[in-house]
Amino acid sequence: MSSHSLSPDSLTETSHYQTMDDRRDESIASDGSIRPEWSELFKSVERHGIEGVARWQETAARISRERGLAYRPATLDESASQGWSIDPIPWIVSAERWSVFESGITQRLRLSEALLADIYGEQKLFKNNLVPMSIVLKHRGFLRTLHNAPPGNGIVGLGLCAFDLARDSKGRTFIVNDRFDRPSGLGLALENRTIVNKVLPNLFRRCGVRRIGSFFADWFERLAQYSNNTDSDPLVVILDDSSQHEDSEISFLANYCGVTRVHPSDITVRDGRVWIKALRGLVPVDVIWKSTPGCGLDALESEIRPCFGIPGIFEAIREGNVAVASHPGSEVIQSAALYPFLPKLCREFLGEDLLLPPVQTWWCGEKAGLSHVTANIDKMVVKSAGNPHLFGTHYGRLLSDAEKTALIGQIRDNPGDFVGQEELEISSIPASRPHGLTPRSAVLRTFSFLGADGTASVMPGGLARVSRVDGMIITTRETGDSKDVWVRSKKEEAPYDISSVLSISGFRAPDIVSSRTGENLYWSGRYAERTSLAVRFASRLIDCRIRGISGVKGFEAEHEKILVDSLFKIFDCPILSPDMTPDARLMSIFKDPNCPAGITFGLERFNYATQSAREEWSPVSVQAISACYDQWIQSINQVDSFFELEPALDELQLNLSAFLGQNLDSMTRDSGWALLDAGRRIERGSNICGLLKTLVTSNLSGEMDTIFNESILYFLDSVRTYQSNFYEKPKTELTTLLLLGENDYPKSITHVLERLYGLLKKLPTPENRPHPRDRIPLISAKLIEFVVELYQWKKHDSFDSKVTAEFLDELIEFFNRLSDILTTSYFSHAEISE
Amino acid sequence: MNHVRYQIQHQTTYFYTGRIDLCHSLAHLEPRGDCDQEVIDHKIKVTPKPDSKSVRKDFLGNTTHYFSVQGSHTSLEITSQLTVEKSTKTPVLPKSELPWETLKIALSDLDPSKTRMVHFLLPTRACPHADFIREFLRPSLIAGKDVVALANDLMTRIFNEFQFLTGATDVSTPIQSVIANRTGVCQDFAHVMIAALRSIGIPSRYVSGYLETIPPPGVPKLKGVDASHAWVEVYSPATGWVGFDPTNNKLPDSQYIKICHGRDYFDVQPVRGIFIGSGKQSLKVSVDVERIKESV
Repeated sequence: MSSHSLSPDSLTETSHYQTMDDRRDESIASDGSIRPEWSELFKSVERHGIEGVARWQETAARISRERGLAYRPATLDESASQGWSIDPIPWIVSAERWSVFESGITQRLRLSEALLADIYGEQKLFKNNLVPMSIVLKHRGFLRTLHNAPPGNGIVGLGLCAFDLARDSKGRTFIVNDRFDRPSGLGLALENRTIVNKVLPNLFRRCGVRRIGSFFADWFERLAQYSNNTDSDPLVVILDDSSQHEDSEISFLANYCGVTRVHPSDITVRDGRVWIKALRGLVPVDVIWKSTPGCGLDALESEIRPCFGIPGIFEAIREGNVAVASHPGSEVIQSAALYPFLPKLCREFLGEDLLLPPVQTWWCGEKAGLSHVTANIDKMVVKSAGNPHLFGTHYGRLLSDAEKTALIGQIRDNPGDFVGQEELEISSIPASRPHGLTPRSAVLRTFSFLGADGTASVMPGGLARVSRVDGMIITTRETGDSKDVWVRSKKEEAPYDISSVLSISGFRAPDIVSSRTGENLYWSGRYAERTSLAVRFASRLIDCRIRGISGVKGFEAEHEKILVDSLFKIFDCPILSPDMTPDARLMSIFKDPNCPAGITFGLERFNYATQSAREEWSPVSVQAISACYDQWIQSINQVDSFFELEPALDELQLNLSAFLGQNLDSMTRDSGWALLDAGRRIERGSNICGLLKTLVTSNLSGEMDTIFNESILYFLDSVRTYQSNFYEKPKTELTTLLLLGENDYPKSITHVLERLYGLLKKLPTPENRPHPRDRIPLISAKLIEFVVELYQWKKHDSFDSKVTAEFLDELIEFFNRLSDILTTSYFSHAEISE
Repeated sequence: MNHVRYQIQHQTTYFYTGRIDLCHSLAHLEPRGDCDQEVIDHKIKVTPKPDSKSVRKDFLGNTTHYFSVQGSHTSLEITSQLTVEKSTKTPVLPKSELPWETLKIALSDLDPSKTRMVHFLLPTRACPHADFIREFLRPSLIAGKDVVALANDLMTRIFNEFQFLTGATDVSTPIQSVIANRTGVCQDFAHVMIAALRSIGIPSRYVSGYLETIPPPGVPKLKGVDASHAWVEVYSPATGWVGFDPTNNKLPDSQYIKICHGRDYFDVQPVRGIFIGSGKQSLKVSVDVERIKESV
């Protein structure tokens, strides 16, 4: 029995947790006694039993689900290791132990900052032969283009850093991984803390756990300090390139801090500065907290192809016009090949002995390293020295003999590209499984940064990751359960309200509607309208073909050809092969995602634009559109003939109308909504004019003229309106009059322009240029004049198709121009050159 | 000593079917100061006028011009005008160098401050280390042959075995297909030679520049027929960097005007740009190398 000097109510042993014989455990000492910092936790387990632990798990899972972060519950099926899941049992660290971690981390931060500065500056490490050059030069994170752009003079060095700690069987602590470029997990750590605090509030209080809120507050204050803009409050943004179609831990962080989250395509570099493209204009950015890889940050200077970064941003960084944390070239110091040199570097740069050693590592570029790694391959974890994305993590002991030989051969071919690391016997902590507590190896990810004065801030807590399988080492790329980390405090700490700090530190979180969102809404509107037209076009063709429109032989085919030619002309479609049968031709038009007159073309783009601006729609609508698209693709792939598509077309039309009706009704009448509706109107206006133009220039006569008129009216869903306005069969002059001049008819150009004027009024006035709405009155006046003329012609039965076609051209040009102006004023923010 | 003076105009024009709202560009058009030539004058003109620009030295000491054009435009023209004077002495192949097998060892004793040498030994995107390259080089590896003679043989081999064919490759064609098809242009031949020499530890670098072309006697020289050219420089401890042109099987002489050197083409791409806007892009490049003065 142990002789710990515990308080009388302390628990010394537990029957609910069996440690592994051969492995050190963080909670239970080798004599079976509970380590003091874990005693409250085991008392709770004792009191609530296995059922209680199961309940904690369920509660954690439920809260997690409600909060919406990607979450998969722990299952007995260990192979289902996709995504993160949270285990509510925390990793508890004593105050004493933590202070050892803290000083080690602090030193590594200072060393890393010095190393980074040297690599991009003086390069003493090469000149003094401290590190073989090729380790640095061959690493994908070494950005040659930023040589001579070391931290300092407005350039940020390390931002937020992560160090992964692990303890071996002897209780020694090692840094097994470091992340400087864009450490992940901070959002998850915050999420875990929030959830575990809700699951185990009493235990949390009893344990006197150190709070992490102030770390976030300090970090945001630090971010603001990076700013080189001393005139006003800095604008700080989080740069995130994770897919727009999913929620990431970054969105969680951004929400928690109220920091604007931007995508690389929201950002532009002009006049050497970085700006957010927003509907209200270009908004200058002072500080970027990036969660994208530094090596792909600047598409102009990156060596990666293809690269979707922000062209010109490195120039802005060099000029000190934007502060980017971390330094985009910081990934190079993550190289595991540097580990063997760290003790030497620490003495050289800091004049100190290294406190927390890295996991023992051999670089195969050196003879001794190569022979050690190849001779001891069974005990080695082999990794890439220069590009972890090219070569994963290979555990020697898990390889077959043939695989081992192959790996050794690979290493011998390019020894400098590999490192071998000692496989640690990582200590275990209690993990909750459906059947109770079980020991699992765990690695502790810590977060830290250097302050302006060189002092370090280390988050008192972190993210623990436990292996899913007993005895398996945890690597960064492997997913596993995650846990909160509780650092015990010596004194009581008050909870931290981050919002108060954010307001003090002068963070402004402006209400920015990004240009990307605006543009996606605008194109949602345009493609919804385009698709509707394509659907009606298709319906008309089927209708004519199935039901017949004339007794004359060859009439339908001729009519069909005229219609197809007209649409092709309007939308500038690629010419189809003349050898196709009429049916194959139609099928190809509507199926081909590259034919602008077709349904797949419009629907695919509509779906994409809608998904890309998904935050503006209700989740149900976004799903509905995507389902609608899938269904269309399915239908068109299933039928043999175009003419079997009628039911699918009807359904598509219905879904589109429902989507637009519902969303336009429920959206706030803001600039986003205005752009969506303006997109529809511009597309409609331009299509009406295009159709009318083919009509007035077609020179048809007799029955064909009538039927063609009818088709045009059908496309625009205007047959009935025509009939109730004019009591005669469709003819060009009247169709033109209806579609241009009918004031109260929403499908007339007069009405479209009026509506557009109202919608554009909702948009802000762009800088240095006239408001787009001011373009409308002139064309409206011309239209009124022309409509008066039309009435005159009608009276005298003297329709002038040439003059009409010219005016329609002017209208088409107007709509195109207006679309361009909206694009340059609100989306691309292009400057108008003289 | 005899000298010859050249006036060179290198014009790069991008045309767009649509409108470009923003472009960011990098140009490696300014000649290095440390070559065997005297730069009398050099200027770069960009139309439309750039809204911001800067000049800096890259990691190898080449001059990089950055510029961006913000006003919407439908074409972009970059003109580099250079006046340069060269000595007309005939290059000779240096003799009695180290055997290639011992160069590697000699290099390992190099003064570590000569850090730039390592750049020219490591593989790059265009010049990777690979078995097919070692395989290609094998027939040239004659035991005890000195470094410079080996490079010279390799140059001749590439010249004889490869067919110069414009349009057969572009900048993205991997070296593997260049070697497999034995066709390419000057960039490809330079890459092949560099990759091969680096595979046995001989530092070698890519040189960008111009080559004066002389029309057959009696034929007047046409405008714009010259082109930017690429060749190779190989390091030998006794002499330093020695030039080789595998495209013409020739040691670069006074007709070769050097601009920059890099690990491969991508380090010294004459003009690289990112254009934001609509429409398709087409490119026209014209180079004129004009001999304006010869002096004794």
